Amino acid sequence: MGNCFKSSNNDDISLLRGNDSHDSALEPTPFVEPPPPYRTQPELQNRMPIYHPSPGVSRTATQLTEDEQIKIAQRLGLINHLPTGKYDGTNRKAKECVICMNEFCFGEQLRFLPCLHTYHKECIDDWLMRSFTCPSCMEPVDAALLTTYQTS
Amino acid sequence: MAHEQASLLLSRQLKELNKSSVDGFSAGLIDDDDLFKWETVIYGPPETLYEGGMFKAHLIFPKEYPHRPPKMKFVSDMWHPNIDQEGNVCISILHEPGDDKYGYEKAAERWLPVHTVETICISVISMLADPNDESPANVDAAKMWRENFEEFKKRVTKTVRKSVEEL
Repeated sequence: MGNCFKSSNNDDISLLRGNDSHDSALEPTPFVEPPPPYRTQPELQNRMPIYHPSPGVSRTATQLTEDEQIKIAQRLGLINHLPTGKYDGTNRKAKECVICMNEFCFGEQLRFLPCLHTYHKECIDDWLMRSFTCPSCMEPVDAALLTTYQTS
Repeated sequence: MAHEQASLLLSRQLKELNKSSVDGFSAGLIDDDDLFKWETVIYGPPETLYEGGMFKAHLIFPKEYPHRPPKMKFVSDMWHPNIDQEGNVCISILHEPGDDKYGYEKAAERWLPVHTVETICISVISMLADPNDESPANVDAAKMWRENFEEFKKRVTKTVRKSVEEL
């Protein structure tokens, strides 16, 4: 809301200034000028996904070594194997995502881990890229995945 | 996005801790406008060398909380094998998540996104009661703890007294 008001205010001011011959000559320059390079770079990096190949290491895709790329591709593949679904209120016990501590809402995307713990898809996917461990029972997810394959 | 989640989680914890205090510590923000910087006072656990102490520590959360751990640093003088000379707390639950390739620590022993100000403070209280001298952050303290316990006791008693005077 506040933002909407602000932007319309800005427009009004610029229009008013546009009528003024002195200001109109000066005003456009700061907008045309490209932002200094030190600003554009962090913005670019923010838009690129950041990966965490090992504890405490954060890199963009282009900064990863070949081994790290393989590790991350494998991890992404394993995560995609884990079942997902939408919360429909019938979920056995889970009512809350222990990562964000919010209750599940109807229609929210969930991810089900083999240890039967359930989280918001967004919350757990981000976590699993850092550590392939269930935050609730600390069970390594890959080990649990293997046992479910063996039993089914 | 991630930043918002962290603020939301931390403000909720602040509200809950204000509502009902937990035994063994108190916690609040250093500056009311910054949810990412907390000040805690850890009460030395009863029946340990640290009993009676009121140790001030800062908890600094990253924007990626709860996916990454905060850093904890004692402002009060401390003498403990798992607290370095600058006051930084060195316990495995505050280590960056994931499996390190050297296998020193399993992922399950490291940071988990379910940790809160409360669970961290409780872990630190149990660390005070039960030092781990296998991977000491303060080698001198660990050595003294093992080899010259009387001297260790004296050193800790001094910090206990100082912590109360400074509060």
